[in-house]
Amino acid sequence: MSEAITVVVVDDHSIFRSGLRADLDERVLVVGEAGDVDSAVTAVAEHRPQVVLLDVHLPGGQGGGGAEVISRASPRAPGTRFLALSVSDSAEDVVGVIRAGARGYITKGSSGAEVSRAVATVAGGDAVFSPRLAGFVLDAFGAAAGEQAQTDEELDRLSAREREVMRLIARGYSYKEVAAELFISIKTVETHVSAVLRKLQLSSRHELTAWALERRLL
Amino acid sequence: MSSIPAAPHRVPLLRPRECVVGGVSVGLARHLGWRVSTVRWLFAATSLLAGAGILFYAWLWSTVPVEEPVTDARAPAPPIRHRIPLRWVGVTACLVAAVVLLFVWEDTGGVASGLMFTLAVLLAAVGVLGPWAIRLWHELMAERTKRVREEERAEMAAHLHDSVLQTLALIQNRAGASSEVARIARAQERELREWLYAGVGTADSDLASDLKDYAAALELDYAVRFDVVAVGQSTERSSGELAAAAREAMLNAARHAGGDVSVYIEGSTSAVDVFIRDRGPGFDAAQVPEHRLGVRESIIGRMRRAGGSGTVGRGAGGAGTEVHLHFDGGRRDEQ
Repeated sequence: MSEAITVVVVDDHSIFRSGLRADLDERVLVVGEAGDVDSAVTAVAEHRPQVVLLDVHLPGGQGGGGAEVISRASPRAPGTRFLALSVSDSAEDVVGVIRAGARGYITKGSSGAEVSRAVATVAGGDAVFSPRLAGFVLDAFGAAAGEQAQTDEELDRLSAREREVMRLIARGYSYKEVAAELFISIKTVETHVSAVLRKLQLSSRHELTAWALERRLL
Repeated sequence: MSSIPAAPHRVPLLRPRECVVGGVSVGLARHLGWRVSTVRWLFAATSLLAGAGILFYAWLWSTVPVEEPVTDARAPAPPIRHRIPLRWVGVTACLVAAVVLLFVWEDTGGVASGLMFTLAVLLAAVGVLGPWAIRLWHELMAERTKRVREEERAEMAAHLHDSVLQTLALIQNRAGASSEVARIARAQERELREWLYAGVGTADSDLASDLKDYAAALELDYAVRFDVVAVGQSTERSSGELAAAAREAMLNAARHAGGDVSVYIEGSTSAVDVFIRDRGPGFDAAQVPEHRLGVRESIIGRMRRAGGSGTVGRGAGGAGTEVHLHFDGGRRDEQ
């Protein structure tokens, strides 16, 4: 962790931006801020940060909020990864941003240390799943009802291992604890989580698309 | 010359308040002292003579008064009850008239009878479809009102979301997770959120929402932050033994561990699992003295008696405590 991770903070509340800025630890370097969709796209293209901390609800642009920022900014900043930050604790809300390409989501109630850790995880190419998002994934893929993928290529269901990992995350385990519990390496846990994230982004399961479409305000 | 026999006492010609069509036949039969069926047959027979019966019936219906209600004068008179709704009488009359007018029209070819025929058919159609159309209209209006109200609510929610909820979130992470201020802000946020999105969620009697409520209550009293995640369809009732054991475990976590506590509820088709996990100093079931009944009785014992199982152990990596409650789906009919 020699060099700080460059971050652009996108949130329409300046109080929140400055609060978050003060809270993040020295691993993270905030290089830019933006308060709406259009300025966010510009800022990301200009600074090309490693990670963008992105509020789900944003004014401006076509009204698409955080998801719109991702879809417009990512072609102009190919290396940048997005981490959704939401005041909402309902995961349905975040599915739209995840499907647009965000690498995970955390709630705004998280402490500065938690946010910093999540930024580092995302910068390292891995996904960040909160317990609630894991629970949502289990629900959306019908894992609780016993549906299971037969092959790794299948996008609409989780494999047995992915389901185990998701269940442990939903129970509040960190990646390290999941690894210890399942006797696998942290890297393997991260691989599973990334695979689930990919399924979440690419799956055409009816529930997912429906939720993404009629995404409610919160 | 014998004396003229006294005229039999005649019931006045009145239509009863409870009738099949107009009450004319019954009223006439009572007045004349005949049988009702006789009068009805006469009406039917004379109707064939160019509709004389029908015309006579209609004339009597419009001229003969309705009898007074028997109830006391202060109460409002009960409405006249028709066993065949007037609407259908009207529709039938219009259809009969239409058929008659059709014959007349074919005979004479007059414009007037043609118009009359069209009018009769139209009236019959209105009689049939009218009430349905009115109801449809009312439903449409109700729907619209509801939608407008929901839109207003969503607008207000959006506004509050952008201002108050953000501020509350900020207070929470600036004040530190388990401080007093953060707890109050969190409770306030939860309350506001519930109020804003009331009606969006499901009925509140299932296990998951019950435990969420309980978590909110505990957060007010203890320095603890609960993260309740529910997965799958939980058919478990909040009054069940599982819920009671889960609440006990949550209370223990709040009291002895504090900090972040995860509650995970998984309801599959065959079983219900609840995990309560804290990051406190840990807990060794074997070292608890005999007289401490909390865990042994209210969690493990309670689950066993109800036909499920409860285990208390160290959390992952030896940190904190994890309580696991399990119920098989088939055996959930308690007592």
